[in-house]
Amino acid sequence: MHPHANKFMETARKELKNEQSQMFLLMVSLGAPILRQIGMSTFADIAAAEAYSRAIRADVITRLPELLEAFEKNAVSNGAKVLWAKDAAEANHIILDIANQRGVSYVMKGKSMITEEIGLNDHLIKNGVDVFETDLGEVITQNLKLHPFHLVGPAINVPPSEISEAFLKKGIIDEASTDPVKLGGGARKYLRDKFRNLQMGIVGVNMGVAETGTIINVENEGNIRLIKSSPKTLVAIMSLEKVVPNMADAVSMIRMLTRNCTGQKITSYVSMDSGPQKCDEQDGPEELFIIILDNGRSEIYSDLKTREILKCIRCGACLNTCPVYTKIGGYPYGATYCGPIGQTLTPMLAGMENTSDLYRACTLCGMCKQICPAGIDHPSLLLSYRARQIELKNQKGKKTMQSRGENAIAGLIALGMSHGWLWSLGINLTRPLMNSMAKDGYIGNIPMGAQGWFVCRDLRAIPKKTFHETWDDLPSRPESSGNTSKKEDS
Amino acid sequence: MRVESIKRPPKPVLSELSMNREQMVQRFGQELGGRTGVLYQAANPQAALRVLSDIIKAEGLKSFVATAQDICGVDIASLGEADGISVSFAKDFTDRETLREAAFKADAGITSADFAVAETGTLGVIFNHNHPRLLSIAPPVHIAIVDVKDLYPVYENVVETVFKNTNEMPSQFSFITGPSATSDIQGVEFKGMHGPKKVFVIMIMS
Repeated sequence: MHPHANKFMETARKELKNEQSQMFLLMVSLGAPILRQIGMSTFADIAAAEAYSRAIRADVITRLPELLEAFEKNAVSNGAKVLWAKDAAEANHIILDIANQRGVSYVMKGKSMITEEIGLNDHLIKNGVDVFETDLGEVITQNLKLHPFHLVGPAINVPPSEISEAFLKKGIIDEASTDPVKLGGGARKYLRDKFRNLQMGIVGVNMGVAETGTIINVENEGNIRLIKSSPKTLVAIMSLEKVVPNMADAVSMIRMLTRNCTGQKITSYVSMDSGPQKCDEQDGPEELFIIILDNGRSEIYSDLKTREILKCIRCGACLNTCPVYTKIGGYPYGATYCGPIGQTLTPMLAGMENTSDLYRACTLCGMCKQICPAGIDHPSLLLSYRARQIELKNQKGKKTMQSRGENAIAGLIALGMSHGWLWSLGINLTRPLMNSMAKDGYIGNIPMGAQGWFVCRDLRAIPKKTFHETWDDLPSRPESSGNTSKKEDS
Repeated sequence: MRVESIKRPPKPVLSELSMNREQMVQRFGQELGGRTGVLYQAANPQAALRVLSDIIKAEGLKSFVATAQDICGVDIASLGEADGISVSFAKDFTDRETLREAAFKADAGITSADFAVAETGTLGVIFNHNHPRLLSIAPPVHIAIVDVKDLYPVYENVVETVFKNTNEMPSQFSFITGPSATSDIQGVEFKGMHGPKKVFVIMIMS
């Protein structure tokens, strides 16, 4: 993974001025929640369905190690080869080895966030194995060298003219076109021979079922089904939290996943593989490798607070409802995962130090938490990251001028707020200085003050009198109901 | 030490479970139609064969690969007698290469379906030595023949049967709902991204 989360502000400002991005963000923010709502309304009891899927995910992360062991045991007894990869390098190494041992010149990939996370394409291409993305959105991002704009539609914002240009250059289409259907048709035609002659395919996994050792893929395009049917060798890679206890839970989660993802009641295809082909079958993989990737997740799991992130089923519903994502789009998040889930996951994968913009770019409105079918409390996680960052800064030997200053100000405010008379004294003492900076009743900035705070906010000038002083001066005061604090009553 | 499963809230109610056969057929057709798939109800295998011939003519299809010569009593082999139409069957192919060649070249795949699910107009297909995976995904048209007795209200009915005995699970089981689709460019939806552009389901009602 190559996070560029340190360019968050810069990219966000650029995207705010990008008309194309803004148009699609408007469409996403208005359309996607409606489609989701229409999908959800087909449940007899929406609240019960949500409560149930959240309970499944809570169950999964409560007994993740046990479920993974069962999954491995059952997948192996189905004939799959299960391999554990502790990090990106190890996973990439395993997959390259499998490709080299079989002498394949190219592989084809189904849409998979996890291979994006580990940078698999670069690794394979650098080592002489060509990679063809097959999901239309990823064919586009691969050829235009773009990060995903959205978890579900990674290239939904890219203008057809740019796609046409890139497709022409690559030979995917013969003549320029801005018709999405023609561009898609070009990709279909271009990839068909490659599907037919494919020797090795790579797919992600939506769910791994512990009780049966089955891997499940949910898709609309049919590329994953082709990759699971045509070649002799199939590699499925899943991050370790993708496991679910049993098939009944998998079915409940599929209903929830597709409704939250695209608003569909079900996708065109849901394929469930329990091992490789049996000996008398004519297609399907002769060998099925299942790679279970950790890449920092054991550490996330070991912390009771952060393990909540592992509930995520990558539906993308939190993006569509986030007031920050729907203004800036996916690029500023600078990594595989964008929106609220990216803000919670990327700091854990890439480190807290370089990703502070991610966990600070949140208004704490709570829409993501409300909509999440997996029951993740993103705002509380982001708050805990902010607190951790401060704790890190305050550790012995790590204090900076900035952190000392922040601590001093926070201490002063805490002292004032816990003593009414000190607060009034402070206000009366600082009023003349503060108000000397006011213009039309508002303070727009304070020299040597918190510059960032004033970028998008003003402070009201301090009134001539405090509330208590104003109250005392009232000629006639409202009648008190009960024994509240009228001085005369005492 | 085994960690006990946390206590779950009650399972959400599936109102589809109360549907009778007529309602299930109606729902299946409606849902499939919503995905641009087409449901034909045929009174018996002979009627199904006539429907199949009509689809073939209307769509101008010339070559097929079918899972078997007889699907739910429908005599697929008899189609080959008509002029200019070539039909091959899964058992004609002895290796992966020839099967792939035929499946990617055919105008249509004609397959059985082990189950139909009314909930979303979905087919449930067990892939095995009698039923190669490519026939329903590689050709541009997929025609499935299913018996109404295999129509169930919800996915659970089907999944429970298929995965009941973990020693006898199929290497792949798939739910198929309408043709393949994408909306990845500008949110414009179109059918037939990598799989079939059209899906026809012939349901035998006898």
